[in-house]
Amino acid sequence: MRDRSLQYLLLVPAFVIVLATTLYPLGYSLATAFRDWDLTRSRQPEGWVGLANFSRALTEPNFLNSLWVTTVFVVSSVVLTLLLSNSIALLLRRKGRMHTFTRTVLILPFAMSPALIGVSYRFMFNPEFGVISKGLAAIFPALDGVPWLASPTLSMAVLVATDVWHWTPYMTFMCLGGLASIPRETEEAARVDGASGLRIIFEIVLPQMKGVILVTAVLKTIFALKMFDQVVTLTGGGPGNSTETLAYFIFNVGFRWYDMGYASALAWILTAIMMLISAWYVRMLLSERKMATA
Amino acid sequence: MTRHFTWWAERALLLLISAVVLFPISWMFLTAFKRPRDAYSLSFDFTPTLQNFVTVFSSPWNLGSMVVNSAVIASTTVAIAVPCAALAAYSFSRFRVPGRKFYFFLVLSTQFIPAVVIVLPFFIMFRSLGLLDTRIALIVVNLAIVTPFVIWMIKGFIDAIPTDSEEAAMIDGASRFRVIRDIVLPMAAPGILTSAIFCFILTWNEFLFGLILTRRNAVTLPVGLVSFRTERGDLWELMSAAGVMITVPIFIMALLIQKHFTRGMTAGAIK
Repeated sequence: MRDRSLQYLLLVPAFVIVLATTLYPLGYSLATAFRDWDLTRSRQPEGWVGLANFSRALTEPNFLNSLWVTTVFVVSSVVLTLLLSNSIALLLRRKGRMHTFTRTVLILPFAMSPALIGVSYRFMFNPEFGVISKGLAAIFPALDGVPWLASPTLSMAVLVATDVWHWTPYMTFMCLGGLASIPRETEEAARVDGASGLRIIFEIVLPQMKGVILVTAVLKTIFALKMFDQVVTLTGGGPGNSTETLAYFIFNVGFRWYDMGYASALAWILTAIMMLISAWYVRMLLSERKMATA
Repeated sequence: MTRHFTWWAERALLLLISAVVLFPISWMFLTAFKRPRDAYSLSFDFTPTLQNFVTVFSSPWNLGSMVVNSAVIASTTVAIAVPCAALAAYSFSRFRVPGRKFYFFLVLSTQFIPAVVIVLPFFIMFRSLGLLDTRIALIVVNLAIVTPFVIWMIKGFIDAIPTDSEEAAMIDGASRFRVIRDIVLPMAAPGILTSAIFCFILTWNEFLFGLILTRRNAVTLPVGLVSFRTERGDLWELMSAAGVMITVPIFIMALLIQKHFTRGMTAGAIK
């Protein structure tokens, strides 16, 4: 068989899957976003309502709350994860038995089910018998009896903690991959000239890591925007709606109130946000490449 | 003196990091072997018991059927996604398909679609087809998440294989099909295996689809965790036992392919 037809033939199975499982639903939900459809009333989509679902979102306090909650969650989770993963990667660069051990240990959180992470943090932060809440109280007596998951601020903090715990290892490996591709000569030369370790990190290593840090930042942002499992198993969006992220809000609208039209519109708003970020990411990355080759 | 200090400080920090990672996992494992009343105490001094595992596998929890559901769904998803993705990855890696950058970006951009967007139409569709609460439904939606990701990953692995031996074989008159079967596949095997395990882990841990599309028959392990929240409160010792069942197979897989695993994590993303 000629390569010319083979090159397309090889793509066919995967494209059929991708088309059927993502592009079709995407189109379907876009169409639904402009319709009125309460699943408890009707099995079929009802009338077309234009942009009504979208304008409803913009005036609904619950939606605006979820946007704010999502922003707080994404920003704190991304910043903390990046700081930690870059620092840990710098620590892990050298060789040693303790380094190898830590690398092995770091594989585990990524392999763990996020729903289960939520459940076990809920257990550990229980104010009466949680091992972390009691442990913290033993060190700082003022913290005894703090109702971690019943306070809006603290439950958000615990939610962020679960996410940082889950993703920092993955991002650390990405940073390590980036560090491995940096030539060591400049660093060695600076060390011979007597530059301090911190100066080397800030003035030589980190500037060369810009591309990798950018990639990890955007990937982490996308993962954080999608985060759903721990909201269900850790906080249930509460207390009140203080941890109700956009993804969880959409889930409630669609599968608790069965308002399909509105849920589709909300889902598309989330998609648009993610698309914008990824477009910006591709552009930044391309200009980064251009600078590197120039 | 300072050199000595930094040496120890570095190791102390690494120990701390490992402890922070291992502690929640170990606590769950310990709790799984505690009797209910010990689960609410913080002491390490308890008589270990296997009762929790017996309980979760018997009625009304029936963890066994969830294990079967999760295993069947994850392995079928892998069996469909990985071969298809491997073929596409080869094409992306080796041929200059016109517009391939566009196709590749199209595949990648599906990663930026929130799962909740995909599941809405599928919920409606499966509802009218009577496929809600079946394994087929979960396999279909999982393919949506996993396939693009696996294409991306396997392409990273195939890109890293030099083309010399392929070209030499072709000059000797071997067909492209034989080249793929006899040269590329064996060399890419570790990468493909790694991607398959990644794919298995993602599907095994998947929660949102399971929560929405299953009720009783096709419930998977992560979704089953929620059922240990009862009117009597959260049954932590049972949840932990179920957690051990979710975690152990995945941890074993992850550690088996440890070396490739970290490479696979980073392969697609850096390039």
